[in-house]
Amino acid sequence: MSLIFLKLLGATAIEDKLQEGVPETIACLTLANIKIWVLTGDKLETAMNIGYSCNMLRDDMNEVFIISGHTMVEVRQELRMAKERIMGPGKDKFSSGLDMEKTELYSSDSVFEETIIAEYALIINGHSLAHALEADLEQILVDVACLCKTVICCRVTPLQKALVVELIKRHKRAVTLAIGDGANDVSMIKTAHIGVGISGQEGMQAVLASDYSFAQFRYLQRLLLVHGRWSYHRMCNFLCYFFYKNFAFTLVHFWYGFLCGFSAQTVYDQWFITLFNIVYTSLPVLAMGLFDQDVNEQYSLRYPNLYRPGQLNQLFNKRKFFTCTLQGVCTSFILFFIPYGAFMSAVRDDGAHISDQQAFAVTIATSLVIVVSAQIGLDTNYWTAVNHFFIWGSLAVYFAILFAMHSDGIFTIFPNQFPFIGTARNSLNQKIVWLVILLTTVVCIMPMVAVRFIKADLYPTHTDKVRLLQQASRRQGPQEQNFRRVRRTSSRRSAYAFAHQQGYGELITSGKNMKVPTASTSTYPLSSPARGNSVVKNSVVSGTTDAAETNSTGFRRESDQNQEVTVEDLEAR
Amino acid sequence: MKNEGEASEQPDNTAFTQQQLPAWQPILSAGIVIPGFLIIGLAFLGIGIGLFLTSQTIQVLEMDYTGVEKDSPCFQCTIQSVQNCTCEVTFSLSALFTGPVFFYYGLSNYFQNFRKYGVSKDYYQLTGDTQYFKSPRDVCFPYSHDSKNNPIVPCGAIANSMFNDTFELYQIINGTKKKVPLDGKGISWWTDFNIKYRNPSSVNGSFASAFDGTVKPINWPKAAYELDLTDPNNNGFLNQDFLVWMRRAALPQFRKLYRRITEGDYAGGLPAGNYSLTVHYNYPVLSFDGRKKLVFSNVSWMGGKNDFLGIAYLVVGSLCVVMSVVMLIVYAKFKFSDDDDA
Repeated sequence: MSLIFLKLLGATAIEDKLQEGVPETIACLTLANIKIWVLTGDKLETAMNIGYSCNMLRDDMNEVFIISGHTMVEVRQELRMAKERIMGPGKDKFSSGLDMEKTELYSSDSVFEETIIAEYALIINGHSLAHALEADLEQILVDVACLCKTVICCRVTPLQKALVVELIKRHKRAVTLAIGDGANDVSMIKTAHIGVGISGQEGMQAVLASDYSFAQFRYLQRLLLVHGRWSYHRMCNFLCYFFYKNFAFTLVHFWYGFLCGFSAQTVYDQWFITLFNIVYTSLPVLAMGLFDQDVNEQYSLRYPNLYRPGQLNQLFNKRKFFTCTLQGVCTSFILFFIPYGAFMSAVRDDGAHISDQQAFAVTIATSLVIVVSAQIGLDTNYWTAVNHFFIWGSLAVYFAILFAMHSDGIFTIFPNQFPFIGTARNSLNQKIVWLVILLTTVVCIMPMVAVRFIKADLYPTHTDKVRLLQQASRRQGPQEQNFRRVRRTSSRRSAYAFAHQQGYGELITSGKNMKVPTASTSTYPLSSPARGNSVVKNSVVSGTTDAAETNSTGFRRESDQNQEVTVEDLEAR
Repeated sequence: MKNEGEASEQPDNTAFTQQQLPAWQPILSAGIVIPGFLIIGLAFLGIGIGLFLTSQTIQVLEMDYTGVEKDSPCFQCTIQSVQNCTCEVTFSLSALFTGPVFFYYGLSNYFQNFRKYGVSKDYYQLTGDTQYFKSPRDVCFPYSHDSKNNPIVPCGAIANSMFNDTFELYQIINGTKKKVPLDGKGISWWTDFNIKYRNPSSVNGSFASAFDGTVKPINWPKAAYELDLTDPNNNGFLNQDFLVWMRRAALPQFRKLYRRITEGDYAGGLPAGNYSLTVHYNYPVLSFDGRKKLVFSNVSWMGGKNDFLGIAYLVVGSLCVVMSVVMLIVYAKFKFSDDDDA
């Protein structure tokens, strides 16, 4: 009644655009087989429009399930119905959703869901989520959510965000990444395996709690597909090489034990043992671990399915560990027995003794350093100037230190510490020693080269194919880039959301906002009043002081958004 | 987005920090691998043939003189109680043994590479540091002091176990023995002789006095300063036989150089005929089932006779050639099947 004598002064609107590049990033990450869920504090319409504007929801999707029941029974009913609609009415399976028709073959404890040919989306409201996260409903929630291409949770409290992340961590053997920009994303960022904070207008709380932070959402694509992938590749190569190198180095003593009465006589000089891992072989592998790139940046971004080997744990698993250990054992065998066979009756070309302990040590040590350097050379895909310097430099340093330690000067100062005097000069000037070293190197390295070549030829991985493409394009010179264009479905929907639903005025004035809305959440840890602020944000206001904050949740740009900054409110769809 | 804070936090835009350093990105392609294998295979075949043929031209004569069997010439020396035993080993050469001929003694089942044996020496004594003559290092135990607690010079197990058989070679011409001169100079490494081992300086003009207050190693017949009284450069720690012995062998079967045959009538080698070798048998090896051998050999650029290396190179070379052919077949089949599918 009192409204008729008011004069309309004006209207305010807040526009909060999506950052640029968000839809492309999401499309790219989906191609990389990364499932993306949106957890936002916005209300349903806003969240749906966000979904449409960044292409997660499309008009041509088969069905969009909206779960917004208020009681446990309703939520259960809605979830079951969604599951039946997806899986087909005839198949009434209540299993964990793993024995479904598969379009791609995965093992039964695989992380990745069967791709159903049809596309579904699930939108679940915060108050329903509170029920669905209970112990008896969480399994079906996980099943339905993983069957859908897109999951959007709206009206989520910060704690619920963390709980959803934890749910996935527990039920699926997946690595989770949470990205957000506000203080209410902090608990989710901390719960996930990897937390990413977007530094920006929301302040620095998300950044301070995160493992990585950057300024724009689209950098996530680079973080995962370029840097994450490279890091995995480097780490796995590094590990394999380290096991191989140390087994090759150490097990020579095992073989020697049979011939020295098991007296723990070392094959090598004591100084060589000290310096091997520190000086002679540490820098090349460090350079490989820092600089190696199997596929360069542009191609990493262009082919997101190169991300798969990391997800499938293909580059370093038990089998790969066993393989590189076995390679180390075989190398140590060859490293010992070829010089053994040669030295059994060898003498110098002036007739003097060469099959003595010290010359034997120098021969095997030199062969070892050359073999492991050749191996790191084979493992390095990206030879920068630093790599060249470190590898050739390490070999040069080995010979320099060898001759220095076997020199006259240092012997006269410390006769007890450097008993190998004269060995390098007297043994490395013999052709037979170099022939032994050459033979050992070739026998150790060639099988590896042959195996790699045949494997790359007969069973090329994605990475191999992309590397060939990369090499071909480099040879042809710079060309026009044909970027894969993200198909944006032109939608009738605009990027604006208009709150046409009845607002919260009635809810506030009824006084119900002071207590927890539903009985079931009272069992939740959520409901302790100490947590008041974040708890009930999804549905009700917690106190008058916060009224302004939460009351305007429907209208204000929400700091609770998870995956993107959204454009909000203003226009009808 | 904020602009003020960002500029200060932006990383450098250099090639190094942006991981865009210019780099060589090799791929193991067929054009490199298959010819590479072929070249290496052929090279190794060549080297292998060279090694094998060279090894075939080297002449080696080996004789075991331990005296285990009853009918061997040195059997009577194996009886423990006999001292200063001498035995005679005869052999004949059917063709000229081209010179220079090297004369080695070989031991088998003898673990000079045993660790405790190997550390049992005193480096300071052997560089002539008389301070350590009176107090040898503990690692030499139990060969550091004798039963009367006198210090031993040179101490340690390696020195103590020095090989002390001696040999004289005679050619039998018309029933008479003609001595073959054996040359013992320079049989050890020159760095050992010149730098690693040094004699203590003479005291009052007498070399023996430098060893006052010490005793010889338990198993030695003579003290260190009496090893070669004719040549002061071959006496004491610089004795060539001593140096050869101190250079520990790596494997349980080894040979060490004893003498060279380079002088006089035999400079060109040992002519065909009958020979007799007088062995002064002092060194007991039967207690640990060891064996003693004599080896005559000549050398080439690759050292002594060594069939293993030649055969290994031939095997690896042929494997490389075979592998390159196999890879060529695999590559061609794969390429053509790929073209067929495309």
